[in-house]
Amino acid sequence: MGNNESHVKIRVNNLTKRFGDLTVLDKICFEIKTGELVAIVGPTGCGKTTFLNTLSKLMPATDGDILIDGEEASPRKHNISYVFQEPTCLPWRTVRENVAYGMEVKGIPKKERMERTDRIMELVGLSSCANLYPNQVSASMMQRIAVSRAFAVEPDLLLMDEPYGQLDVKLRYYLEDELISLWQKLKSTVLFVTHNIEEAVYVAERILVLSNKPTCVKAEITVDLERPRSFLDPQFMEIRHQVTELIRWW
Amino acid sequence: MGGSSIANETVGVSSGREGITFYQIITNTYLLYTVSLISFFLVWDRVAAWQVFGDSLARPHIVALKLYDLTQIKFAGTNLGGHIWASTQRVLIGFSLASFFAVPLGLFMALNRYANAIVKPIFDLFKPMPPIAWVSISILWFGVGEFSKIFIISIGTFVPCLLNSYNGIRLIEPELYDVIKVLGGSRKDEVVQVSFPASFPAIFAGLQISLSVAWTCLLAAELMNARDGMGFLIKRGMDTHQPSLVLGGMILIALMAWLSSLLISLMERKLCPWKRSIDNL
Repeated sequence: MGNNESHVKIRVNNLTKRFGDLTVLDKICFEIKTGELVAIVGPTGCGKTTFLNTLSKLMPATDGDILIDGEEASPRKHNISYVFQEPTCLPWRTVRENVAYGMEVKGIPKKERMERTDRIMELVGLSSCANLYPNQVSASMMQRIAVSRAFAVEPDLLLMDEPYGQLDVKLRYYLEDELISLWQKLKSTVLFVTHNIEEAVYVAERILVLSNKPTCVKAEITVDLERPRSFLDPQFMEIRHQVTELIRWW
Repeated sequence: MGGSSIANETVGVSSGREGITFYQIITNTYLLYTVSLISFFLVWDRVAAWQVFGDSLARPHIVALKLYDLTQIKFAGTNLGGHIWASTQRVLIGFSLASFFAVPLGLFMALNRYANAIVKPIFDLFKPMPPIAWVSISILWFGVGEFSKIFIISIGTFVPCLLNSYNGIRLIEPELYDVIKVLGGSRKDEVVQVSFPASFPAIFAGLQISLSVAWTCLLAAELMNARDGMGFLIKRGMDTHQPSLVLGGMILIALMAWLSSLLISLMERKLCPWKRSIDNL
């Protein structure tokens, strides 16, 4: 982990994905520093999900490298966590068991697993429904379970695919703050994909703007704003406007 | 539950005296249940008493008396309990035997495409055949003893058991596997942590269907040839023209089928607690 802010955690070189003749990802290059929260925004249908699936190694890349700490990324060797768009709780496990589940797959000893589970559930306010089953909690709770599960493994890289896209505005604000506080406390490296520009500017330290297909990184914007950020801050609005101009397709 | 709802009803009636009291009474669900059942038995009784079907329909209380008599005397070597047990035993053995093999085979087919490629064509060949079509051939093969009855029941229950456990795995959302893949989990993790638990409800649905098929097959087998069992009672009732015995047998078999399906439901609740909703936690 380390506190060295300039240390590069993730390096992606020329990441390319083709389905037959269709090039979806075209030589994507970028770096993420240790403990950085980077947002990725792009026009609808630019292949954001393909991008994440390739990064997470769920899908083989056609070309290019993904390096974590200088080594070729591998789910077996590295801790990669993924929060999907849809809630992906295991219905037959209680909330608590769902949060602990990622650590179970990773083979973390039981004692530590329990401690971390308790800590994270406390942080996100899931303690009160620890013994309920997912079908007994609300949709936002389920997404919080998935987020907690992802953070709990202390991932080298945490990928989030529009995790709050399905939720209403009020809950989203709340969960974005929760995400930021989790990230600050646990110092994870996070890559957050969204189509919501405001959300990106609100949570991220840096924003990568993707182009239309074939997708590449079109621009990179550093968001150097104090936290907690305000939507009405002129600087905030300026950055939001800048990103909007970059991806406008209308 | 009944007590509390009656109490609530009382409060409701006394508070809204001049309102829709009569309407509330005649639309009370339990009242309607009772009315429905009483009407049914009344119609049955009248139809029997007026001899609409000649002397071939027994009145309800005659059927009840007949069943009671059978518990007291030996009929064809055993009393009522013996007949019920003879049938239940056949269903249990046939059903257990079939589900013991069909459920794992279905799971295996869904998880392994080679196994699927080998078993599926044969299975598809036999699938549309009504299980009762096996009755005659099984008597030719195995005679009229216990084995041929169990054989028919097994054949009948095998199909829905296998089909449901197969589909139970096939219909799992792929995202659940992705969660494990991303975390670096093995194929074993996927099967043990996702495939098996996710297929449980479908397996139980299959067991329920199988069980009802099992009772149908049992009846078919016992009607063809048996020396005891509830199907035998029905058959004997028909041969000796005792409508009370036929109806009694029908009621018993329905009762047993209902009880056994209740048992499966209880097992499911025990094994899949996560299917319970918050209401009846």
